[in-house]
Formats: sequence, structure tokens, C-alpha cells
Amino acid sequence: MLRAVHASLNYQDHGRDVFACRDISIDVQANEFVGILGPSGSGKSSLLYLLSGLKTPTAGDILYQGKSIPAMSDEDRSRLRIEEFGFVFQQPFLLGYLTALENISVIPRAGSPNEAHELLEQLGMGAKAHRFPHELSGGERQRVCVARALYGRPKIIFADEPTAALDHKNGVSTVNLLNRLRGEGSLVMVTHDPTMLDGADRVIRLADGEMTAPILGGHESAEPTRDI
Amino acid sequence: MTRSRAATNPLAPLTYLRRNAGKTIPLTVVIVMAVMLVSGIISMINSIPLSIRTIYAYSQKFTGVTPRGDATRTQVILNEIKAKSPVAIDRVITCRTAGTVVQSIVGKWPFFILGLSPDDMTYYLRLQNATDIDGRLPKPGAAEAVVSEPVARNLRLKIGSNLLGPKLDDGFSPNNVKVVGIAKTDQWVMVVPIEYLRAYHFPPVDLGIVVAKNPAEQDRLDRWADKHFKGQRAAILAYFQIEKNTDEMFRTLYQILNVVIGTLVIVITFMMGMLINIYQSQRIVEFGLLQAIGYTKRQILYRVLTETAMVVVVGWLLGLLAAYGLLNVANATLMAPRAYAINPVDKVAYLYSLPLPVAILVVAAATITVRFKNFDPIGVVERRIV
Repeated sequence: MLRAVHASLNYQDHGRDVFACRDISIDVQANEFVGILGPSGSGKSSLLYLLSGLKTPTAGDILYQGKSIPAMSDEDRSRLRIEEFGFVFQQPFLLGYLTALENISVIPRAGSPNEAHELLEQLGMGAKAHRFPHELSGGERQRVCVARALYGRPKIIFADEPTAALDHKNGVSTVNLLNRLRGEGSLVMVTHDPTMLDGADRVIRLADGEMTAPILGGHESAEPTRDI
Repeated sequence: MTRSRAATNPLAPLTYLRRNAGKTIPLTVVIVMAVMLVSGIISMINSIPLSIRTIYAYSQKFTGVTPRGDATRTQVILNEIKAKSPVAIDRVITCRTAGTVVQSIVGKWPFFILGLSPDDMTYYLRLQNATDIDGRLPKPGAAEAVVSEPVARNLRLKIGSNLLGPKLDDGFSPNNVKVVGIAKTDQWVMVVPIEYLRAYHFPPVDLGIVVAKNPAEQDRLDRWADKHFKGQRAAILAYFQIEKNTDEMFRTLYQILNVVIGTLVIVITFMMGMLINIYQSQRIVEFGLLQAIGYTKRQILYRVLTETAMVVVVGWLLGLLAAYGLLNVANATLMAPRAYAINPVDKVAYLYSLPLPVAILVVAAATITVRFKNFDPIGVVERRIV
């Protein structure tokens, strides 16, 4: 469904070429949970942004359902993100003047207020649907972000260190909820903490912008993270 | 209800503006104050020429004629007008005048007291739309006067007050001329018996008043007389001359005013542009998040500009309303009691405030557009820009 084909991303740093990602080729299948694991600065977030169309590769290609994302116009890429993808970022970014329920509804996918409310119920936030972000804890805010990413049943959810701002217990809980509620959607999650990828179908390890371990065979690997 | 409506479209501009009242209200208030200031200043300045036109509006009703260099020529001139006038004449009045002053917000203005015969006085008061008189008309030859309501308010005269007198520097007469009647009309009128002026006032020159049969043709008669007697020993006093002189008198003042208002608009626009920019900078995370999850720059820009336009337009409209209120209060407390003229619905004054919202909107749109041009949402979601 989503493929990176020899994708690289480099930038100039004081006249020197620096590779955030180099020659990455991966394939994300429908309904698959792919973990991207690596230490800080390994290029895992850059890879996520390449895959989700937020960044454009300097070499190679990113294909979604056979169509090149970098070849799309800015408008088409935006439309793709809002219609097909869901996002959870490192920080629980919410609009401070909107309630939890409204923060979910900023995604104009074919969701309904009822669906948004149900998502909050499933995330244990039903009673706080009408609270504003400043009335929620960090974990609760991130759960609202998870609900926003799930709203409208996106084809792929991209999660960039979604547990970074949470304690371990809240982090595990958030990832489990994301994995459990994603339905038919794929999940691509970046993390530096291997324990967060217990539920992943396969894990890609990155170091210095390059894949350092072979892609573990998707569903044939029952416990992929244990191999890391 | 607000929440369910916002849930339908939580990014509706009104939702942001209402829920961020702490930012919306100061912006709106600054615009309101600026619009009120500009409209108020212009309206007050406009009240000066308006006062002149109002005070001397009585002269719209007739063509005034005075001889020049030969005090005996008044009747000759009046006969010539009767014979050659291009419009039908209703009445020709021979009168005398005495001078006094009325008050305005910029000081004293000269005013003619007309000396008329009893018949002519009745006719003249009717001509000046007097519907009734409190008190009575002066007795022939007596040191008595009738003034209209605006004059009474302006000079604080009541029945029994002295309009002229030996102790009044601005309205000298050897005898105290008492107000015996106050005419109910909006026109500024002061009349006394012609015999009194002939007996006690200098110079001994009769003046003429010529009234057109059709009031709509009075201006035509004015302009004909002005042209016809040019270079002759006669002077014509007509309302269009007052208008022309007033326009010339205030031309320079309005040029200065335009510079002042222009500078004010620039200063306020610059200030508002900065304020709007600061507020938008505080929303950088919001814009980054929205762009990252799939909103286009155009959608976000459209939303921000719609919000800005709403604040500016509402601020402008409230400013006009505030200016209207302020001018009405000024009229009721300062102007009307002294019969000073001011127009609380002065369209020119309100139009002068129009460059404010336009300039603020243009500057805000330009700065926001430039800010968005190179905006990178990744910087926000990676917490490089917060």
C-alpha cells in the first residue's frame, strides 16, 4: 500500500552533505503495524515524514497505492494526508480553545460527532469530551491526539514517538490503544523504546539514516521486537 | 449549544474569535477607538462650516441688495431688479440693518439685525418658517426685538433680555433694545422696527431684500443679480457667496486635516499590523499542526484572513456606532444648548474612517501571507519552532 523506493533525504550543513535517510526501501502493507526503531538522530522521524508526505525525498520515491507522493502537488499531498492518513506527534498538540471532542472533529474526514464521542469513550475519555486541553493531564491529551488520528478510520496512522511526553505506563497504554482501535488501518510508529513495539508486526531499525537490520518478515514474525 | 455547533465546524472563525476574547476584544477596541477618534475629529471640524451655513441659512430665502458709493441708489437698484429679474418676484422689502454677533465653537460671528416695517416683519418671519411667536411683535418705533429660538439659545436671551444696548460692546445701541418675542423657527433671525434703526443707527442707508415667488428660483435670482450688477454701484448679498467663501476658507484646513488623518491611519495601521502579527505568531503551533495533519496553506490563510476581516469589520462598525453615540452626547450636552451645529450622522466623517479598516486588513493580509510563504510545519511538530 505504501512503499519507499531507495528513498534518501539529505541536507546541507555548513557546506557538508548530511543524510537524514539514505537509500531506504520498505513496504507497508494494509492492516500492518510497522515499528521504526532507532536512537535519537538516527533519522527515524525523517523517514516517517518522508512516508507521510510531510517531507519530499531528495532521491528515490514514495509510492502510495502506486502513486508517487513527491510528484503530487502540495494541495494533493495535503488532501492525501487529511483524507487517508492519521497522525500522532511526539507532543500532544491540541488546539487550546477547542474541547477534546472538537479537537477530534478538526479532521474533516467522513466521521461524525457520534464517532468522535465513541472514540473518546473507548479511550476512557468519554466523561472529559467537553473539557479543554488545559483541563486534561498530559496522558489524557495524548489520548485525545490518538482519537484524532483514528477519527474517520484513516488508511494509515503515522505515530512519531507518541510516548515521548508520557511516563512508561501511560506510553504503553497509549500504544496499546492505538494498536487496538486502528481497525483495518496500518500503523507506522517511530520510537526509541523497543518495549513500545511489542505489538508490531515487524520492526525496522535505523542508525545514521540507514537501515541496519533486515526487515523482519511481517506476519511470519510472531514476536519481532524480541529480535532487536 | 456553542459546543455542539463548534463540533460541526470547530475551525469556524467565529469559534476562535469568541473563545479567544482576551485577544479579540483588545484588537476590536483599538479599532473602535481609532474609528471613533477619526470620525469624531472630522465631525467636529465639519461642524464649523456647518455652523456658518446654519447661522446664515436665512439668507437663502432672499437676495440682499446694498448701494455702493451712493446711499440714495437703493430704490433705483430694486426697481431695476423688479424690471429685469429673470424670475417672478414675490416681494421687495426696504429695510435697515444693525450689527451684532453670535457665538460659535470657534468664536464670534457677525450677524445682521434687520429693521422692518410691521407688515414686512410679519412677512419676513413667515418667510423664515416661523410658525408662532412666544410673546409678541415689537411696537412700531419701539426699542424692541424679536429673535428666533436658535438665537435665543445661542445668546442666552429670554423675553425681557437686552438684544442691543449702550453697555453691550458687541451689540451697541443708545437704548436697551429688549426681546419681546421669540419666534419658533430653526432659522437664525433678529428683527427690530425699522423706525428704531432709522432713528438711532448709522449709516443712514436703506437696504433691499428681494424674494422670488418660487423659493426654488431664489438661487437663480441671486446669481443673476450678482452677475447683472457686477461693476455697478450695487453689492449683492447671496447665500451662494457664503457657501463659496466658506469652502475657500476651509480648503487649507481640510488639506491639513487630510495629512493629520493620513498620518493617524498609518500609525494605527502599523500598530494594528504589529499586534495582529504578534497574535498570529502565538498561533504558530496551531498552524503547524493543522498543516501537518493535512490542511493546505491556502485553507489556513483563508481562515486567518477571515478572522482578521471579521475583527476589523466588526471593529469598524462598532467604531461608527460609538462615534454616533459620542457625537449625539456631544450634541446634547455641548452643542445644542448653544445652538451650535453638528451633524451626528455626518457621512463624510464616517467615510474618513474607511481607510482604517482597509489599511489594517491590507497590512495584516500582507504580513500573514509573507509569514505563511515559507512556513514549515515540520519545524512545529518536531518542536523546533514553538
